[in-house]
Amino acid sequence: MTDTIEKIDKVLTDLKKAGGVEACAAVSRDGLLIRSSLQKEHFAESFAAMSATMLGAAETASIELGKGVPNRVIVESSEGRLIAVGAGHKALLVVIVNQETGLGLILHELEKAALNLKELLE
Amino acid sequence: MIETGIPKLDEFLGGGIPKGKSLVYYIQPGVEGEIFGLQTIYNSLKKGGMGVFVVSSTIPDIIKGQFREFGWDINQFKDKFFFVDAYNSLIGAPSNEKYVVMNPDSIEAFSKIIMNALKELPPSTIVFGSLSTIIDLCGEKETINAVRAWNKTAKLYDHVLVYNFTAWPYSEETLKAIKDDMFNAVISVGGIAERVIFGQYFGIFKADWTKEIKKSMLFRVLRPGGIRLYIPKILVTGPFDSGKSTFVHALSTRAISVDRLGTTIALDHGHIDYKGFSADIFGTPGQERFDPIIKLLSGESMGVFLIVDSTNPTDFIRAKQMLEITKSYGLPYVIIANKQDLSGALAPEEIRNQFNLPPDIPIVPVVAKDKKGIFEAFEVLIDKITGGL
Repeated sequence: MTDTIEKIDKVLTDLKKAGGVEACAAVSRDGLLIRSSLQKEHFAESFAAMSATMLGAAETASIELGKGVPNRVIVESSEGRLIAVGAGHKALLVVIVNQETGLGLILHELEKAALNLKELLE
Repeated sequence: MIETGIPKLDEFLGGGIPKGKSLVYYIQPGVEGEIFGLQTIYNSLKKGGMGVFVVSSTIPDIIKGQFREFGWDINQFKDKFFFVDAYNSLIGAPSNEKYVVMNPDSIEAFSKIIMNALKELPPSTIVFGSLSTIIDLCGEKETINAVRAWNKTAKLYDHVLVYNFTAWPYSEETLKAIKDDMFNAVISVGGIAERVIFGQYFGIFKADWTKEIKKSMLFRVLRPGGIRLYIPKILVTGPFDSGKSTFVHALSTRAISVDRLGTTIALDHGHIDYKGFSADIFGTPGQERFDPIIKLLSGESMGVFLIVDSTNPTDFIRAKQMLEITKSYGLPYVIIANKQDLSGALAPEEIRNQFNLPPDIPIVPVVAKDKKGIFEAFEVLIDKITGGL
């Protein structure tokens, strides 16, 4: 068990090393925080619940409209971006990045991390 | 009898640890288990008892720092709290504690000091910060024999002995002796990775003075605060406009909502810290068009509050349907009869009849906007989740 947690933490630290990542978290599909890089756990818990709801709502909407499972949800604001991707059927991965960061690099790193997380939880 | 101060554990133990008994916290490596010994000694000091803490893995000042981190002031117990310092001499440092073990790697030297303390002190709670460290220094067989002797002596002098033991891969024989026959009680403290819940739990493995209760509790460690029982998800659901968000906010220490035009469209999320419990609360939307989101959020709940508007019996059908959508049948649930302050509000028993609810389902009258009845409701649900002890 500690082993899996360590591995999840490693996925998150590696992801955090990608430029511009302010915070990231592994979240269960039903909104429970698995692990996060946020210092304050109570922020992380609400953040986790919200992210899972967003991705879930986006998936439901997209599938209902016949457009299949979306690859990701990107929320853009003038301060930065919040990106959520599915990581298998049990979990999702969320990052907060600052405005300066190129989307391409982040998406690439995120895909890689999501795949790793998926394998860890399977 | 001394109380450990760890929520629910004293209840499970039939009130606490009787004088003359020994107890070991059997801790899986990698789990935050040492707090169990700390919280036990702090609590027994707080209740006016005498306490001794045996330090073998670090200097006493670090332990004092840990007490401070949890927000526990031990200076107030000056004449009632002592250290047995079995560390400083290992690193060649002087010690100003009442009891000092000069050669902590010799079990005879160790035993001499412990026996002295046992014989000269009035009935006390004696906590060994790390039994595993003593084993590492003095050897498995040697330590086990010594501990057996300490436990016997403690019984004669009415002391309570409490050990923190981290279950490193020692010989089968040693682990078995510790688990099965050296102590009056064994509390196992471990980690679980069940589906997506990663957590720590404790449970009673053995306690020879009370009937055994095979029940494990999830916990987390707060600084300050100490051990809190942890409930990762409590669901709050119910029909449109029954007062779910109001309930979540009234109950929570802090909460946020995603709502538009006064109705929840995604979820309410709250956190509560109450009477030794720490729980996260998820409130669902009520309108039928949000059913996919309700389904999405309801997984892994440990208990459910079903909120109904007591003045609106036509909604009860929808309320029952929501129990189904959230797959809540089989989980502990409590009906919250909200809006009891309005005229025409049905009494709990009238709701039971209209609802055709079995008699064992609790219905709690509540006025969520005035915070009336909500903590009673929380306690009722917690009792159901923890097995109604």
